[in-house]
Amino acid sequence: MKITALLVLKAAPETSDPVILANASDVSHFGYFQRSSVKEFVVFVGRTVASRTPPSQRQSVQHEEYKVHAYNRNGLCAVGFMDDHYPVRSAFSLLNQVIDEYQKSFGEAWRSAKEDSAQPWPYLAEALTKFQDPAEADKLLKIQRELDETKIILHKTIDSVLARGEKLDSLVEKSSDLSMASQMFYKQAKKTNSCCTIL
Amino acid sequence: MQARRGQSSYRDRTDEFFGIVETLRRSTAPDAANNVPYGGGGGGRREDPRSAVANQSEFKKRAAVIGLAINQTSQKLSKLAQLAKRSSVFDDPTREIQELTAVIKQEISSLNSALIDLQAVRNSHNDERTISRDTTTHSATVVDDLKNRLMDTTKEFKDVLTLRTENMKIHEIRRQRFTSNPSKESTNPFVRQRPLASKPAATQPAPLPWASSSSSSSSSSQLVPRRQGEAESSPLLQQSQQQQQQQMVPLQDTYMESRAEALHNVESTIHELSNIFTQLATMVSQQGEIAIRIDQNMEDTLANVEGAQSQLARYLNSISSNRWLMIKIFFVLIAFLMVFLFFVA
Repeated sequence: MKITALLVLKAAPETSDPVILANASDVSHFGYFQRSSVKEFVVFVGRTVASRTPPSQRQSVQHEEYKVHAYNRNGLCAVGFMDDHYPVRSAFSLLNQVIDEYQKSFGEAWRSAKEDSAQPWPYLAEALTKFQDPAEADKLLKIQRELDETKIILHKTIDSVLARGEKLDSLVEKSSDLSMASQMFYKQAKKTNSCCTIL
Repeated sequence: MQARRGQSSYRDRTDEFFGIVETLRRSTAPDAANNVPYGGGGGGRREDPRSAVANQSEFKKRAAVIGLAINQTSQKLSKLAQLAKRSSVFDDPTREIQELTAVIKQEISSLNSALIDLQAVRNSHNDERTISRDTTTHSATVVDDLKNRLMDTTKEFKDVLTLRTENMKIHEIRRQRFTSNPSKESTNPFVRQRPLASKPAATQPAPLPWASSSSSSSSSSQLVPRRQGEAESSPLLQQSQQQQQQQMVPLQDTYMESRAEALHNVESTIHELSNIFTQLATMVSQQGEIAIRIDQNMEDTLANVEGAQSQLARYLNSISSNRWLMIKIFFVLIAFLMVFLFFVA
């Protein structure tokens, strides 16, 4: 489950191409010579998908072996390239977060952008590495995972408590036997002590 | 005898045949009138051949029914084989094939059981009364023939099923090849020569409706590759947008639905966890009671043992003192003295 690239674009009206505002991609698993072409491919497909995504809509497109998820919010569009295993919901919550973060850090400055911005946005790069695990992006997934782990632990606890119950049962039996035996012992001792007239 | 089933010999026995038909007619008519139960076996010699003939005809009727059923099954099987061979990549009648398969399987199993019944009937006939050697061999041959035919039909059925599974496998491979072919064409060059053409071809075989709609919209907008005027592009794009919008709303819903479903899952998991905790608490409280009982038992034991120890200590004390002994000796001496004095004085 990996993310290959994340893009933030300004989705212009249909007449022109979307403008790339931030770009982060992880091409380490491609060979050295393919990296630039993969980057171009990412840029191009990102532009196409962003231009086709209507505002306030989410869209997922299957392209070769990648799923491309796009979320357009009032002209600011975030596009993510993930493989097939990445859960769709986590992808979209990740895009949500990216857009929120971008709006917080850059305000409305992006509306005036006319050409691709070249400076990298460090948040996007670290988001790319952080969110390779879908549980990080999607709180629900994380909660579900933790709950499952807790359930497993609880099951083990219940098993051990049952074993403890069995041991306690055996202990109670042994202790009742012991108390019976001690009672007999006391009676015997009393009996030998009572009759004094021997001979 | 009548004409044998199976391998027909070309001996002209028509006269014999007619004679026996006459006897049969004579025998079955009073048979129906007297209502003799077949296999009854009692009565005189006349009833014996009659019941034998009745038995034989019963046997023959059953064998005929079975043979007919086997024929029908093999016909259905040939139809199934044809269907299995014919099925192409896009048009295969899976449901019909499955229905036919189920029907044929049922028929084969019923035929099997009928054949076993037939054999049992024949055995019972053989045991009950004496019949000629010819009839026994004849019936044995008939049963064997039917069994062989049934076995052939089953074998054919198995072959057809294997053929069908192979066909399905081939179809799957072919389908994969078709869907991955365009991707192979486009992954090699990340060239800008025909990017728009490659993208729709790649998205086409995607199994998701919205993907296909986006591809159709992209192909429709491909027809307006920025060479033509804007006026012509807008109606096409509007239409594609509408298409996209229609598919977009379900996608939004699916996204929301998936989030809602995840929330429900989390909620139900939490409920289960609370159940588990409650059970845990119950069990621990029950075990707490048991622990209290154990504690009481041990206290009782301690008290008992202490009492017993004190008793034993007193006993030891009483044993270790000599006072009683001296008193006893004294009494014994006094007794002797008394006796001595009594005798002497």
